[in-house]
Amino acid sequence: MSTIIEELDPERRDVELPTDAAPAPAALTPRSGTRPRRRRTGKRTPGDWLVLVIAIVLGFFIAVPFLLILVNSFKSPADYNTSGPLALPTEFYVDGLVAFWERVNFPEKLWNSVFISGLVAVFAVLISMFNAFALGIGRVKGRLWIVVLILLANMLPQEVLLYPLYFMFKEAGLYDSQWAVIIIFTVIQSAFGTYLLASVYSTFPKELLEAASLDGASRWQILWRVVYPISRPTLSVLLIFFFIWTWNEFLIPLTFLVSNATQTVPVAITVLQGDRLMDVTTTSASALLGLIPTLVFFLIFQRTLTRGITAGAVK
Amino acid sequence: MKHTRTLAVAASVAVAALALSGCSGSDAGGDENVLRLWHYEGADSAMGIAWAEAIEVFEEETGATVEFEEKSFEQIRSTASQVLNSDEAPDLLEYNKGNATAGLLSSEGLLTPLDDVVDEYGWGDQLAPALQTTAKYDEDGVMGSGSWYGVPNYGEFVQVYYNKDAFAEAGVEVPTTLAEFEDVMATFADQGVTPLAESAAEYPLGQLWYQLALGEADRQFVNDYQLYENPIDWSGDEISTATETVKDWVDAGYISTDASGLKAEDAGVGFISGDAPIFYSGSWWYGRFVNEITDFEWGTFLFPEAELSPGSAGNMWVVPERAKNKELAYEFIDITMRPEIQALLGNNGGVPVAADEADITDEKSQELIANFNALNDMDGISFYPDWPTPTFYDELNAGLQELVNGTKSPSEVQQQLGEQYQSGVDDIVG
Repeated sequence: MSTIIEELDPERRDVELPTDAAPAPAALTPRSGTRPRRRRTGKRTPGDWLVLVIAIVLGFFIAVPFLLILVNSFKSPADYNTSGPLALPTEFYVDGLVAFWERVNFPEKLWNSVFISGLVAVFAVLISMFNAFALGIGRVKGRLWIVVLILLANMLPQEVLLYPLYFMFKEAGLYDSQWAVIIIFTVIQSAFGTYLLASVYSTFPKELLEAASLDGASRWQILWRVVYPISRPTLSVLLIFFFIWTWNEFLIPLTFLVSNATQTVPVAITVLQGDRLMDVTTTSASALLGLIPTLVFFLIFQRTLTRGITAGAVK
Repeated sequence: MKHTRTLAVAASVAVAALALSGCSGSDAGGDENVLRLWHYEGADSAMGIAWAEAIEVFEEETGATVEFEEKSFEQIRSTASQVLNSDEAPDLLEYNKGNATAGLLSSEGLLTPLDDVVDEYGWGDQLAPALQTTAKYDEDGVMGSGSWYGVPNYGEFVQVYYNKDAFAEAGVEVPTTLAEFEDVMATFADQGVTPLAESAAEYPLGQLWYQLALGEADRQFVNDYQLYENPIDWSGDEISTATETVKDWVDAGYISTDASGLKAEDAGVGFISGDAPIFYSGSWWYGRFVNEITDFEWGTFLFPEAELSPGSAGNMWVVPERAKNKELAYEFIDITMRPEIQALLGNNGGVPVAADEADITDEKSQELIANFNALNDMDGISFYPDWPTPTFYDELNAGLQELVNGTKSPSEVQQQLGEQYQSGVDDIVG
């Protein structure tokens, strides 16, 4: 405080300095407080406010399902019966979570999901990069049609692929094996990755590639020493998306993972859905348990994600 | 540099995953003394408890081990035809009855015909005729005749649940005739209470509608409707009484017009919370009501004057054609049909198909099983209104929703349903 007063009043007119410090900040606030605020409000047009309100409303609607899951996960069935799905729980009830955890042996399912999604993400990024290097930088003839062909894997609905895949993997002896799911999703995800990366690589600065080959770098070296480091942010984003997309897959894991010991989290959640009855609170609890890992994964890699989208340009 | 680390971490996690898991392939064993068993009943449910006991008895008596996996209903429903056609097929599984499920698989040759085994063990004598309907399928996979492909272990039927406290408060008795039932509902409606917990978005109202039609019907009508023996007259007595009664009850305030948007869960919760004193629905609610209704006394009765009611055998044991230990599977089925296992099922809120009423010690369960046995003695199990065609469930609900909303008159609804029913049946019968 005294330093401020010194600055404001270098002659230190002690007479006017109040013994109580309170008036001083009060006198200062209008100066330091109102002016910037007025400046900021001055910048916000009604249009800005409208956008803000729309964003908040949209954000709310996006959050509603998650909030409902959260509220109902910690509610006892009796509580749910009397107060319905929208009310807050009257007590902190975790039996639903515990029951689901034990019934499906959740750690095992969690590991299966991490194992499958992790491998798919890594393999698919690697394959996407090789493909895109050939198509985007190597400029293979007819690359447009190759990309279209590869994209078919993404464009066909999974229901169409299901039976052919079932017969193929049964013949190969991989039915009821996690490797079937890993192979299928590596192909499907890398199809999208190839498409995206090929267009990123087609804008890759020629000067860099030429400089590298002038220095005597082989194609392999160009890929790993030049292309890979520069496109690393894009690759990280792909890795994260592949992980989350594979995590949430349901139909193909449901079909191919017959034994309980090989199943993933989304498949395990269906155990709660009966013929005619549903258990809302336990189902919510299971949804919450299934959602937390991807949320945690996203939060950990969130910085990479935002940086990857804005980055990608060459310095 | 951060990116390198992110990717490096991800890659090393993947490598570690590879190393740790090793070969995670499965081992579908054809081991001599192992019974691979699947079902999808929760461990706390009546069937779950009874069958867990059956597994213990089985292991003790045969010396074989049971490899049991609890499956999800959804998984068995959507992947059974693929699993049963592979080496991963279990020796015995619980499977859904009906033309579209067990019927389809039997016509594809994926299920073992059980005629000889049924004769050998005498299961046919233990099961009431209407319960056998869903266990037998002809070569086209249509139920009702042909070979045995499954053995039902429990039953289900639709009855009236009522709130005893609310009945006492309103000064009404359990009705024995349809007229009395309407009087009871009128009493509640006069007091400003909507008496019936209903849902038209899902099965409950469809089942009530069918029950009302059954009130005018005989067994031949059920055979015509369900097994296509003769064409159904959609403007005849049975159907028009049902449709018009539903309309009258909505107009009189016995059924809320809100019901058109409600799901079965909402209707059930409406009864559990005490908002509606009467709920007409299936025995599958019974266990949940026992556990979750704590604020009031409740009871059950069969629909007044009903000689026929919706209901059927439950889902059943089937033996896949590719099962490796069929003999063990038959022995296990036989154990689940024993009186003591059936009684266990009954005492835990299930509806056993072959229990001695004297073995049932739980008082509330006695009421439930007495209702079921009474219905069976009348040969009253009449299946469900949506069974005849694969799309009729949605069509019936949509029609009744329009009836409840008042957007269509009863005769319009009947005509629409009749056309949809007939075109569906024509597709099946050809």
